[in-house]
Amino acid sequence: MSYYDIDSILTDAEKIPCTFQLDVPELGYLDNSPGQTLKAGARVALPLWLAELLAITSTGSSDDQNKSYVAFDLPHALRNDVVQALKAEPLAVPLRDQSAHFYSLATHMMDLSEEPELSATLRKTFVRRAAEIALHARKLGGGTGKGDEGGSNLGVGGAGEEFLRGLDEWERRLFRKAHDGTRAGKEWMEKIKKN
Amino acid sequence: MPMYGDLGNKLVQNAKRTQNLAHLPPYQTELVRSVAREVRDLDRDVASLLEPFQESFDPAADQATACTLLVNHMSMRRNKRCLLAYHRTRTDKLEELVWNGSDLLDLAGQQTGGAGPTNGMNGPTDSSSSSSSLSPQEEDYVRQYGDLLAAYKGHWTDIDLTGSLEPPRDLFIDVRVLKDAGEIQTEYG
Repeated sequence: MSYYDIDSILTDAEKIPCTFQLDVPELGYLDNSPGQTLKAGARVALPLWLAELLAITSTGSSDDQNKSYVAFDLPHALRNDVVQALKAEPLAVPLRDQSAHFYSLATHMMDLSEEPELSATLRKTFVRRAAEIALHARKLGGGTGKGDEGGSNLGVGGAGEEFLRGLDEWERRLFRKAHDGTRAGKEWMEKIKKN
Repeated sequence: MPMYGDLGNKLVQNAKRTQNLAHLPPYQTELVRSVAREVRDLDRDVASLLEPFQESFDPAADQATACTLLVNHMSMRRNKRCLLAYHRTRTDKLEELVWNGSDLLDLAGQQTGGAGPTNGMNGPTDSSSSSSSLSPQEEDYVRQYGDLLAAYKGHWTDIDLTGSLEPPRDLFIDVRVLKDAGEIQTEYG
């Protein structure tokens, strides 16, 4: 995850629900009411790049060392019914509808708070889905292999179309690599046969 | 609700699209300028917030101000990251194009000519001042990077570093006669 990584920057723009722990007179604009005091207890959706530091920075007050500016909850994309659905059947959930950067958002959240169960569920989800992705990539790679590059080559071929549309950004990259690899292998084999 | 950092995000989304394109989309002069302006505004806010404290600010004593300062600071850092990442994505692309043998004229003219088939709108597009999809700084960058590459290639005159990696299909290759060589006799007569 580099400083210049575009996908990492876009992940940081995902909003997560936060609750302010103190009154801040200047920050009313965060809650859509500029000029007014942002009250303690106000719930505001903040982008990750802002929420993260506000949540881990201690206010420095002497009476409570561990108090921070905001408390945060898991983002909408990781709410309980999504996780339950993933437990039941990983292939049936279009992750992209939750967040285009589902996995990197989830790993980021797990850096911030301890979620052993979530982590186990997501790991299982990825293993299951990765196998399915590889399967689809091989099927498509075995086709005529017209030079369909970029994002447009997703959603070719009937049955898996729905599944492939639901891939998050990381899975898409995986799919593209597997797809290109299969095709390159096939081309190489054909070249060998010709000579 | 527009918020600090939203404009920067637009730039990064633009960069994301750029990664998947073969050509370079027009430079977002307006957007870059707005993001820079936002940073200046934030900096001014920070300065005026700190002014009454005369350089002896204690975060524990005034938590609300400390929080505001932190938010402003993070917004500036975020904007900086967005700006840098946007420009870096573009320079990476430019370097790639230079290695592939495009020169400045191809690149600059891309928006008017080359991009034709992808977007249907013809005629003089909304490119306000110039027709180039590069910023003046980027044009400079391409020129200097091209010079650098040429100097680098000069070390190995017998290898064409930017040449194709595909071996020639034929046993015979076309050559261009540069000097009048008179009568030539090949191996085959």
